[in-house]
Amino acid sequence: MRFVKPISMKEHARALALLAAAALLTVLAGKDFLRQHLVEDLWPSPALSARQWLSHWHAPLKGGRGDSEVFVFRGQEEGGRVLVLGGTHPNEPAGYLAAVLLVENLRVEAGEIWVLPRANASAFTATDPQEGTPQVLALPDSLGQPRAFRVGGRATNPLDQWPDPEITVHRPSLQSLSGVEVRNLNRSYPGRPEGFFTEQVAWAIHRIIEQEGIDLLVDLHEAAIEYPVVNALVAHERAGDLAAAAVFGLSMNGVEIALEPSPANLHGLSHRELGDALPGLQATLLETANPGQGRLRGRTNAEQLLLGKDPCYDAAQLIPGMNKVKVGPEGLPLAMRVGRHLDAVRELCAALELTRPGKAVRYTGPPTLAELDARGMSPWLRPVSGLDQPRKAR
Amino acid sequence: MSLWPLGLMLLFFILLFSRWRWPLGLALAAAALAGGLLQGVPFITTAQGGLPQPGSAIWRHLVEGAFVYIDPMLIMVAAFLFMQVIRENGLLSALTWWILRGLGKRPALLAMALGLFVAFPGMLTGLSTASVLTTGAIAAPPLRRMGLDARRTGAFIAVAAILGVVAPPVNLPAMIICAGVDMPYLGFVLPLLVLCLPLLAASSLWLAHGALKSGDAGAALDEVDKGPLQRHGLRLLLPLAVILVLMTGPRLLPAHWPSLGMPLVLVLGALTGLFTGDRVALRPAAEGALRQALPVMGILAGVGSFIQILTLTGQRGDLVLTVLQLPAWAAWLGIALSLPAFGAVSALGSASVLGVPFLLALLGKPEIWVCSGISLLAALGDLMPPASLACNFAAQVTGEKNYFAVARRTLGPALLAAVWALAVMAASPWLNRLAGGG
Repeated sequence: MRFVKPISMKEHARALALLAAAALLTVLAGKDFLRQHLVEDLWPSPALSARQWLSHWHAPLKGGRGDSEVFVFRGQEEGGRVLVLGGTHPNEPAGYLAAVLLVENLRVEAGEIWVLPRANASAFTATDPQEGTPQVLALPDSLGQPRAFRVGGRATNPLDQWPDPEITVHRPSLQSLSGVEVRNLNRSYPGRPEGFFTEQVAWAIHRIIEQEGIDLLVDLHEAAIEYPVVNALVAHERAGDLAAAAVFGLSMNGVEIALEPSPANLHGLSHRELGDALPGLQATLLETANPGQGRLRGRTNAEQLLLGKDPCYDAAQLIPGMNKVKVGPEGLPLAMRVGRHLDAVRELCAALELTRPGKAVRYTGPPTLAELDARGMSPWLRPVSGLDQPRKAR
Repeated sequence: MSLWPLGLMLLFFILLFSRWRWPLGLALAAAALAGGLLQGVPFITTAQGGLPQPGSAIWRHLVEGAFVYIDPMLIMVAAFLFMQVIRENGLLSALTWWILRGLGKRPALLAMALGLFVAFPGMLTGLSTASVLTTGAIAAPPLRRMGLDARRTGAFIAVAAILGVVAPPVNLPAMIICAGVDMPYLGFVLPLLVLCLPLLAASSLWLAHGALKSGDAGAALDEVDKGPLQRHGLRLLLPLAVILVLMTGPRLLPAHWPSLGMPLVLVLGALTGLFTGDRVALRPAAEGALRQALPVMGILAGVGSFIQILTLTGQRGDLVLTVLQLPAWAAWLGIALSLPAFGAVSALGSASVLGVPFLLALLGKPEIWVCSGISLLAALGDLMPPASLACNFAAQVTGEKNYFAVARRTLGPALLAAVWALAVMAASPWLNRLAGGG
């Protein structure tokens, strides 16, 4: 059957006008999309010992959008090794910025801290459709000049891995997940060297832990206020004692945090899969409450992520049991969420020494929650030349 | 917190669509643009990294939202191609002949068997489109020849396809909700069967039994063109075998058999069809498929932009919160109405946007049963105007021009399904105990 009918001049004109409008839309939107491929530089503390790329542990990632910098800080004294992952989900900015503050301020005295601030670097280059996420957060550095930090999506950029299957089958458990999870780094562990792009990123992280003898993994996340596992420390069963000690330490400092066991039947998560696969590892994950992430949120923009205030969540507080975290008039500011992560990392390191003698990891430099509450993040963001900081597209 | 901007956007959309005769997709995108600008989304991008905080121009949001449905769009084009090929190579008429000969004289069995047959691809893929455009296209001719009118045939196919989406083993709305609350997609088979099987039987009989009972199977059989069957025999079935094997294989042997994805599976089925029956000219068939799919692709792109602007401007959150704030007695009604209503713009979107908070609000009841009920309510969205995806495609496979008329005929079974979903959710503690759950 042929679908050919004569086309009038008027229809030609209309089609041309629509094509022109589509081209204009492509240019206008394309500029914004391209801008998100510009990688902001991080300015590591002078105490940095080594700078590596993720592709060092899995060569096929080299030079691609899955490759990402790993910052290594070594102390004078021997001790344990800790790997901190930020940016597993770049739409959870407290995870990324806590890792950034570690990179820019760490001075390790004992043991080693490895920081991968953009664990899923590809996901920083695209935001998730229908979420309306802002692409960039601007934060003043210690001299008051703005520094731009990208906010990406939860999943790998489809330019790097597409199309999604209808059903994601997690390997090796064969658990079924919805299709989009195939691009979720935190559903792709333990990773496969020849698997999908995201599985290869997971595999590279797996290899760091395995080859470098990492003792403690801390994966930094955020979650919606209505999500049951929020303001929480999730721990693999082997990390139970360590996590309990860290929770106790945090509570002594007035930081309330729930201790959640890693679910045994939900596969692909860093704490579950890496904890199971690597006997020497204690695998943990941290969640703070982010008002810019949930389904109940109001207007979605950078202020909401920074100030942590949202009238919809204020209203939701009147629905019994809806908000899993109390939202006060001061909101849940980003500096506070970053501070919770940094305090928890500090307590986990202390607990590592406590539970595994000889594995001490001690450091100074990054701010505490109290300091961030009082002064914000700026004093700990190293000064650069503002908006014109050198950036490269990936 | 107010929903008046959403009201204005909908009003503008209705004006553009019904009064000024804009295509649905364009009208939705224009309403999204107007609504966004009205609520302060910038016309040009403010300096990235500048203070106060930067914000993208509305254009990025319109494009980004529209891209959410790129995968379903590919499936649509491929499914239309498959349908076009099996129609032209004679497979469709051969299947019609077989079905009428086997079950033509047993109308109740014919109705229920065809309902299950239509639902099958949806059960494997979680997509109503896959059902409507493959087995739905095969079921339409025998139903029409037995005297069922085009609108009712369309409704029959659309409803069966929706129930296929909800039925196990693959229920995408439930999987999306599970992902939103980090719950494994395990233990859903029984609840989903309890939800779907009675509905499938009841709705198939409701929509088709009357007409099939008074139809003349013998006369209908005589009208079917048996030429392709005589010329090519069982070889005609190969394209169907190809897609069934490629769809079922990855579900049966997930460790060894990677999924090729629905678009490729359907294209391979269509290509097989070029060599197994009457001659089919590929290019016109492909052009035809694209022309049939384009209007629906336009609607999906418009829907995507519309939802992105709703999220960006906070209207999405206001909508969810409004339903959650209803008093307890009205909350169930709110859930039953809002899930399909939001599904009218996107059933999977409804599962994600409303399904997740509703499940969280109902925590304490057996989550798997409640999630199953919510997934059925969300899936019903594919029947609701303006997009009415399932009805839109079902109208195309039955030759009906007005898909709203098809949608109207699904209203009864959809209401029945909503009531059944609510009943199962309300009785979930008891059902869970009966099933041996904790």
